[in-house]
Amino acid sequence: MAESTLGGGAQAASTSLKNPRTAAAVRLGLAWLIVGALVALAFSLHETPNRGAAASFSLLIGVALGVTFQRGRFCFFCIFRDFIENRDSSGLFAVLSALAVGGIGYAIVFGAFMPNPSGRGLPANAHIGPVSWVLVAGGLAFGVGMALSGACISGHLYRLGEGYTRAPLALFGSLVGFGVGFLTWHTLYVEAISVAPLAWLPKTLGYGGSLALHLALLSLIAALLLRHLPELPAQAGGKLTWRRIYQAVFVTRWNPLVTGALVGLIGTFAYLRVSPLGVTSQLSSLTRTALNNAGWLGDRLVGLDGFAGCAARVVDTITNNGILIGGLVAGSLAMALFTNRFQLSRLTVRGALTALLGGALMGWGAMVSLGCTVGTLLSGISAFALSGWLFGAAVFAGVWLGIKLRLHA
Amino acid sequence: MNIRRLVTLFAVVALIAVGLALPSFRARADLPESAVVSTEWLAARLDDPKVRVIEVSVIPGVYERGHIPGAVNFVWHTDLVDPVIRDIASPEAFQKLARSAGINADTTVVLYGDNNNWFAAWGAWIFSIYGHEDVRLLDGGRAKWERENRPLSIQQPSHPEGNFTAKPARREIRAFLADVLAVVKGEAEGVIVDIRSPAEYEGRIFAPEGFQELAIRAGHIPTAVNVPWGRAVNEDGTFKSVEELRQLYASVGVDGSKKVYVYCRIGERSSHTWFVLSKILGYDVAQYDGSWTEWGNAVGVPIENPAGTVWGRQ
Repeated sequence: MAESTLGGGAQAASTSLKNPRTAAAVRLGLAWLIVGALVALAFSLHETPNRGAAASFSLLIGVALGVTFQRGRFCFFCIFRDFIENRDSSGLFAVLSALAVGGIGYAIVFGAFMPNPSGRGLPANAHIGPVSWVLVAGGLAFGVGMALSGACISGHLYRLGEGYTRAPLALFGSLVGFGVGFLTWHTLYVEAISVAPLAWLPKTLGYGGSLALHLALLSLIAALLLRHLPELPAQAGGKLTWRRIYQAVFVTRWNPLVTGALVGLIGTFAYLRVSPLGVTSQLSSLTRTALNNAGWLGDRLVGLDGFAGCAARVVDTITNNGILIGGLVAGSLAMALFTNRFQLSRLTVRGALTALLGGALMGWGAMVSLGCTVGTLLSGISAFALSGWLFGAAVFAGVWLGIKLRLHA
Repeated sequence: MNIRRLVTLFAVVALIAVGLALPSFRARADLPESAVVSTEWLAARLDDPKVRVIEVSVIPGVYERGHIPGAVNFVWHTDLVDPVIRDIASPEAFQKLARSAGINADTTVVLYGDNNNWFAAWGAWIFSIYGHEDVRLLDGGRAKWERENRPLSIQQPSHPEGNFTAKPARREIRAFLADVLAVVKGEAEGVIVDIRSPAEYEGRIFAPEGFQELAIRAGHIPTAVNVPWGRAVNEDGTFKSVEELRQLYASVGVDGSKKVYVYCRIGERSSHTWFVLSKILGYDVAQYDGSWTEWGNAVGVPIENPAGTVWGRQ
């Protein structure tokens, strides 16, 4: 089992971390400590005035995402790169599965939130964004930034928990990018975003029609990708034992379809109880608040506060989104420790600089697109928003461009 | 011997319990049930077809993620104001809305919402303007219902179409700029109540922090007295007793002998005070919904600016 690899079997004193048994004990002890701390935090958030169930639930949603992303390797850049470089479509099936399950879940929740989609307005909080060339530009920049920095924003967050040293630099870079986004926002808003349509399929097709089209489109993409699906490992028959369950959860990589379905479910639950999934709102709000306090950015960003999405607000505290992000990193870290996949990666100067630059590109892209691969792509497409599809296509094109230009090498 | 001791102990405990419960009982008892209902009252009538519960919350998604079972959602920004011009909802639009919520001429309408019932009180004002008499507020609003761990539902209610008919707008409970100006000039009798914070009233700030609807001038309407809306409620958001409310307003000369005009920034907080003065105390009250965002921008109307923040001064 994977438990004895840390330390590489060095012969050392039994008290040293070099001893594999001690190392494993420390590793598992730490993992359990994190789990215990998260449970305690979830309970205490629930009892904290002005926090309550929404905060507690956000933490658990974040942990669930961190665990699923880590165990299922749900990293948009890795998934896109596997396909572009190696013609391996297995990761893409996780994305398709997430969108299919997410679409079904959203249709169910929409039916309760807004029984008549053709009426006035849009369903509360759903990530239905303005469709304009700005969204395409934002998606392209985001995709190139992914190739440069080695992951998207949610990817960096969960890989932070695996000890990926470029992640904090890329996330810092994204803060700079958000700042540039705010400074360009006014011009882009006046020129394009203010008159861009908020295209939402159920307005014309209803929920049933939208879901049918949604699933048909995903099926078509899946059919085209099927021949690029590598051979699956042979599965042994026989009885289900505790050992096999342990292997399935903690040792072998999760099946892409299962991983995707879990992401789709988590997204549905998040929308039902708190807000659609997104991981950039707290990050961009931090930047906006900092710029605002420094006097570089006015109190008002015309138009921004009216959109649903991962848009920034001026905030003084940690929002539910910040709690979610914390849960995501902690959940991934706990899983990485349990499965012995935590390892500090070696950082080169080039790797550091490209992480910063790529992060900045992603920050700008996510700011002007009102979200990233999670907020705009996943939560947008699941909500039947045209903006989600367009952003997704632009991000894919950006990653393809970045890889062809060997920016990720 | 032991039994007598036990009985005595029980009696003492019971007396203490009653004593603890009594103050809240007394404070509630004198609020007219025709205007304010308690959470207990409402919880017992959720299945009553004569009672229709309406939520007016302004934070998106609050209603959708859980409302009082059977409650209908009215959206302040589109349902209770005109979506294009600055005005209240038109009689046609409001009649359609109320009918689709299953409201009949004899329905008891109970409103509640987030933000201290401000927007729910606006809803009560609109119902009154269009002539629906039996309109009430849930004491303590959404916050109290949640705090008491009462049930919430995500199910969208569907009620049979009602027969509510909007009567001609009651002009006497809505004031326009000219009406208030007449009071300021002494041409009409009345007393004006500014329900904003002292900082807004004195002109130290234009609007509460974070709010964007601003005026060119800061300060207040001349002769207006300042009673911030929050002084009408207890710490838990429930209304104070009738006697406390009567004394509160009497102390600044608002005793019901003259017509009262209330205003704030856009009319949402002053709806709350309008409700207190007219529905709880029974005074003759008009709400000036143009409020400071109209008055503070209007050309040629007098203002008072005790803080001295008029343009060019600082």
